[in-house]
Amino acid sequence: MQAASFWQSMVFLVLSAITLGLAVFTITRTNPVAAVMSLVGTFVGLAGIYASLSAHFLAIMQVAVYAGAIMVLFIFVVMILNRDEVAPVSWRGILSRGLGVVTTAWAFSFVTLLVVRAVSPAVGDGKIEGSGALAKLLGVPADVDVAFGTVKSIGKGLFTDFVFPFEAISVLLLVAIVGGLVVSRSAKQEHHAEAVADRDKAVRAQIRPSSIVGAGAEEADAAHSHAAAEHH
Amino acid sequence: MPTTYYLMLSFALFVVGTAGVLLRRNALIVLMGIELQLNAGNLAFVAFSRAIGNDGGQVFTFFVIALAAAEAAVGLAILVGLYRQQQTVNLDEARLMRG
Repeated sequence: MQAASFWQSMVFLVLSAITLGLAVFTITRTNPVAAVMSLVGTFVGLAGIYASLSAHFLAIMQVAVYAGAIMVLFIFVVMILNRDEVAPVSWRGILSRGLGVVTTAWAFSFVTLLVVRAVSPAVGDGKIEGSGALAKLLGVPADVDVAFGTVKSIGKGLFTDFVFPFEAISVLLLVAIVGGLVVSRSAKQEHHAEAVADRDKAVRAQIRPSSIVGAGAEEADAAHSHAAAEHH
Repeated sequence: MPTTYYLMLSFALFVVGTAGVLLRRNALIVLMGIELQLNAGNLAFVAFSRAIGNDGGQVFTFFVIALAAAEAAVGLAILVGLYRQQQTVNLDEARLMRG
């Protein structure tokens, strides 16, 4: 346990100010492009915070995947749907929705206060006055190994302890690809896809009638057995 | 820096994201609010991972990033479909399934 140095505090302060400020900027813009750009800034600030938490590989991935790939997707959609906003904030049911925000803020601040009170760290020098595991968890963390948060140690975790979620994520991404394609195709493309599917079904029925499942199956089976009987 | 500060930042980010989701009516901004919420969760994951000196939390953050990518892809596809059908991305006008 060592006290947080002045520079560490400054870095955290500046990065969190950037992150929070740009996050607020994101949700207040009426121009979607400005909102996306602010969100990119938020993610870059978060990447800096991750780096200050010795999560170096994660910081790089945050910039590459979030600020790079996902935000490019957003920009594409903004370009497709380039529409001026009529009314940024809707007043329909604003009371209940505002209440939702206030309740979230209250609940979270309640939990945070509870946690802070439980340990009551003297601000600045990071001295922990509380006791027990919680105080240790929430105070200034002990120094970690040099290998902490590197590609090697993360990769080891991915392919040993977390190999099942890792594989499950690949299925999730596949579902997202197929879902994205199916949901966003136009009516014309949908009709075309249905026509192709019908044609494939007809060809399949000719080649191997028993492969048809569903409504036409009995019919096909009947025709098949009929043909077989004639053959005999 | 004590982990508490990171948790406070995470909390503030989550509230900002929630405000974006609940108060804005532009579906794009709502999706961005969801991204902010996911990132607030990520920050808490990484802060706790550093606090206990175990980088399993960082591995989980990778999963959340993949999840966010999938969510963004499907969400934006739905948005494009909605725009095709109704020429709007205003969530107040998208009431097809409201009954």
